[in-house]
Amino acid sequence: MHIRLASVMVDDQEKALRFYTDVLGFRTNKDFPVGEYRWITVISPEGPGDVELALEPNAHPAAKTFQQTMFSQGIPLAAFEVDDLPAEFARLSARRVVFTKPPTPAGPVMVAVFADTCGNLIQLYQRT
Amino acid sequence: MLLRHEGFRRLCLARERLQDLDDPAPAIEQLARDVGISPYHFIRQFEAVFGVTPHQYRIQARLDRAKALLATRERSVTDVCMEVGFSSVGSFSALFARRFGEAPSAFRRRVRLHDLTPGCLSLMGDQPDRSFREA
Repeated sequence: MHIRLASVMVDDQEKALRFYTDVLGFRTNKDFPVGEYRWITVISPEGPGDVELALEPNAHPAAKTFQQTMFSQGIPLAAFEVDDLPAEFARLSARRVVFTKPPTPAGPVMVAVFADTCGNLIQLYQRT
Repeated sequence: MLLRHEGFRRLCLARERLQDLDDPAPAIEQLARDVGISPYHFIRQFEAVFGVTPHQYRIQARLDRAKALLATRERSVTDVCMEVGFSSVGSFSALFARRFGEAPSAFRRRVRLHDLTPGCLSLMGDQPDRSFREA
């Protein structure tokens, strides 16, 4: 049994694909239509190459409510690991990404939190 | 850009007000005042956080409500169009099609034939193995 697929709910799949590739720098791995939506996954060019992140539509009203409540309360719905958090913070800030928490020491890691423009807060962490 | 706690909280409140279709659309100037920044910065900040401008967000909220109404109730497209506050069926249909990829009438027909589309992960299970592996 392997964990190779994780997902984040997004309020607009096309917008999400642009943000997760153009801004964050992930690569499109799969993108094909499924009914009125698309099955979209991205992978990190830094690897591992067999772990995908699906950009899932938050079409269900309950999903919207959940996503919005977590967002408003400042709770991240996904976390990505980075090697150099201050550098990522600077890189993404230059791309107009809005952070709600700057790089901050938190026990064995340093964390920062940004808005993904699709309804989620995402945490970045660097092991220290 | 770094948005500290209070600024973030106020921006989330502004979003909730834009989403509340039972109230008349709040003026951008008023929303910006409540957040405590200029209208120009409010629009820019809102877009950087939510990916669309406040105006676009309001339209999306109306289209989402229209979609829910079309899916769940025995209502005509014209009725739904009026209910969510569009005065022209033509522009309503065009905006709806741009957001959801099909005209409201086509959507209404389709959801009557099938149940509402489930989430993507469950949809994936219905795909032939071939599409999923080779796409």
